[in-house]
Parts: sequence; C-alpha cells; structure tokens
Amino acid sequence: MKQIVGVADMKVSNKTEESIVTYSLGSCIGLVIYDPVVKVGGILHYMLPESSIDTEKAAARPYMFADSGIPRLFKTAYALGAVKQRMMIYVAGGAEILDQGGFFNIGKRNYMALKKLFFKNNVIIHKQDVGGNTNRTVRLEIATGEIYVKTSGAKEVKICHPFDCL
Amino acid sequence: MSSLRLLMKEIQNLKPIPAVVTQLLAAVDSPGSSMEDIANVIQYDPVITASLLKTCNCAYFGLKVPAESIKDAVNMLGIDQVTELALIKSGAQALSGRHQGYGLEQGDMWQYSVSSAMITKIVAAKLGLKNKSTLFTSALIKDIGKIVLEKHVADASEKITHLVKNKKHSFQEAEKKVLGIDHAELGAMIAKLWKFSPRMIKIIRHHHLADESRVSDKEIAAVYLGDCICMMMGSGVGADGLAYRFKDQAMKTLGVTATDILMMIAEFGMNMQKVDAFLHMA
Repeated sequence: MKQIVGVADMKVSNKTEESIVTYSLGSCIGLVIYDPVVKVGGILHYMLPESSIDTEKAAARPYMFADSGIPRLFKTAYALGAVKQRMMIYVAGGAEILDQGGFFNIGKRNYMALKKLFFKNNVIIHKQDVGGNTNRTVRLEIATGEIYVKTSGAKEVKICHPFDCL
Repeated sequence: MSSLRLLMKEIQNLKPIPAVVTQLLAAVDSPGSSMEDIANVIQYDPVITASLLKTCNCAYFGLKVPAESIKDAVNMLGIDQVTELALIKSGAQALSGRHQGYGLEQGDMWQYSVSSAMITKIVAAKLGLKNKSTLFTSALIKDIGKIVLEKHVADASEKITHLVKNKKHSFQEAEKKVLGIDHAELGAMIAKLWKFSPRMIKIIRHHHLADESRVSDKEIAAVYLGDCICMMMGSGVGADGLAYRFKDQAMKTLGVTATDILMMIAEFGMNMQKVDAFLHMA
C-alpha cells in the first residue's frame, strides 16, 4: 500500500507492506528517515524554513516548517521503536530557480534550516540530492529501506539502500 | 511547411476555452455590472453551471443548504468565489491532459495552473492590485502554449536539454533557440485567437519576464512572481523544472521582500485544501 505525503505533511510507518511517497519537491524539502533494525521509516515534506514567520500558521500546520516539522517526524518514529543512532537520513529537494540569489533562495534556506537543526542535535545526513533546477518525487519502501527518486520526465531510480547509506 | 507555419495551423485547430470566460471577465471588469449580471453570464453555460454547483456543494465549502442555482451560490459564497470557480472550470478541459513533451503526467499541468492562479491571487491581494479576475485567469492559462508546443519540445528534447544543462539557457530560451518560438509567445498567439483582452495577451506573453523592460508593469510582475512561487512549490512542475530566470528587479518593482515571499508561501500552504477541492471539480 502506498502512503502519500502531501505538501506540508508527514507520514511514518512500520508496516512492511507499505511504501511512503511524496510528490513534486521543488524548493521544498523531503526528509526521509529510516531505522533498518525495527523497519520504521517516514517522510516529511516541508515548505519553509522557520515557523517564527507565522506562529499561528505553524500551530495549525506544523509540517509546513522545518523547525516545527522535523522534531515531530523523529518523535513519531521514536514512538514506533526507532532509535536516533540507527537512523538512516536522506534529504531531497531544495531546488532553485535560475539566478535566484541567496536572499530569495527559498530552496537553500530550507536546506540550511535542516542543517542547522541537525548540527545542533548531532544528526548526520547519509545521502542527499539537493539543489539544482529539477523537481523530485521520493519514495521509501518500509520493508527494505530502499529509497527511489524520480525527476519529471525521467524514470525513477534507486538511490539508496540502508546498508549502502549507513 | 516551416515549423512556425505548422504551429500556427495547429493553434487554429485547438479547442478553445469556453466563451463564458471572456464574457465573464468583461462583466467582472465593468463597473456597471451587478451580481445578477455576472450570475447570468455563468448560467448561460449549462456545463459550467452544473459542474460549478457540484463543487459549491462539496464538503470543502460546508454549505448548510445545497446551492441549486448560480444565484444561490452567489448568495452563499459571494461573487468573487463563484467567479473564481467559473473561471477555473472553464480552463479545466483545455489544460487537464497529459503533456509528455514537458514530462507532465495526466493532471499535472492543471494542478500547476490552478496552484499558480491561487498564488497569484495571494500576490495580487498582498500588493493591493485591482483586476483580480484578469490576473487570476492570466495565471491560470498562461502555459496554454505548452499544449501545442509539447510535441515539438519532445522531438527536440535532446537539443533543448543540452542547452539547459550545459549552456546555461533557461528552458524558455532553449525553446526559442531550437524551435524559433517559446511557449509564452505561442500562448499569447492562442489567447489572441481566442479573443482574450489585450491586457491578458500581454501578461501571458511576458509571464517569464524574458523582456526585462516589462518589469515595470506591476500586473505582469505579479503573475511572474506567482509563477516563480508556484515553481518553487513544485506541484505539477514538469521536465522544465525550475529552469527559468528569477529577476530580483521584479521584487524591487513590486516592493516585495524575501519575508513577504515566505509569508505568501505560508498563506498558500494554508489553502492547499482549497486547491484540492478545485482540482477535483468534475
């Protein structure tokens, strides 16, 4: 069964018959986490770096922002038995429009917000496919931890297996 | 036959967007029009009326009593909402197919168009721009040129991709170089053929701001910004991806800051459910 993660959304699963997919990451970030021992994984699809720009919206839609969505993704996986030290981390998205300078570069800002949070919490990214001008669709297989990515107009490719990543 | 002449022939064969769109925009833009005049324009088109009522009565709008006529819908949801729904419904058929030349699966272009129109509405509201319906509709149909150009883009995909990946061309610049015309130019020609207003034709023609001198036109800049934000959000984006140019100058013209853009994205994030409701309009 396929669990679909919408924009500003998150799904976590420990059901081995399931795959989790998020479509069309532009400048948004798709954060994939997976613990291969307990086979718990999830994807967060966030749109913006910091919830401080609108706390009311962040309360209503916590998965819209990096700083309110990322901790929830990890905590939901922990509740299903995942352990931080075993977690495989994959990041995709953060694309940019041509000539999009640093100030207006939402993709880069989204990625930097994640890096900042990971640095503070000693979390390492094992693989990533970030930046560029393409949009990406990412799929995680709960049974195996395999991650697949697809850019529009191209075929889906396997980019990560938990044991390659770790 | 040259490829340009072939394209001209192809656009003549395109099934036009229902006439109700131009009549509706004329009615909305006319200061003398009443709500009843606008409702009358819509109910003249039975297909759009039926579909619009179905959407008005879907769970998203939460009406206590079902709307049975356009007048009911206008009374319950307001004229702006009903106009928006009628405009969206009118564009659905033309834009909802599969457009493989741009790597767009079934429904992708439609999703992008509706999202882009919704974001442009947010931009227009933020900037206090008038002509809301014209801007909304321009954003909705601005990529109509892709429908005809896609076969040619598919045939020339290797050359176009090479220019974008290796020669720092934007996708639009590559289309123009390889095919002699880009999707914005072709879209404007289609809009002219369908008798859209000169204003809309101009907005469609310049929606990527390839000609920087157009940046001083706030309406063009607003649709351009709406398109940029929509690209960043990624929904329904095709193989051309985000390979278009971002112009800081447009932000200066509009007086828009990076924080403003973040706020507009957040506003759109709160409206995703509405986009879904629109996308499922029959």
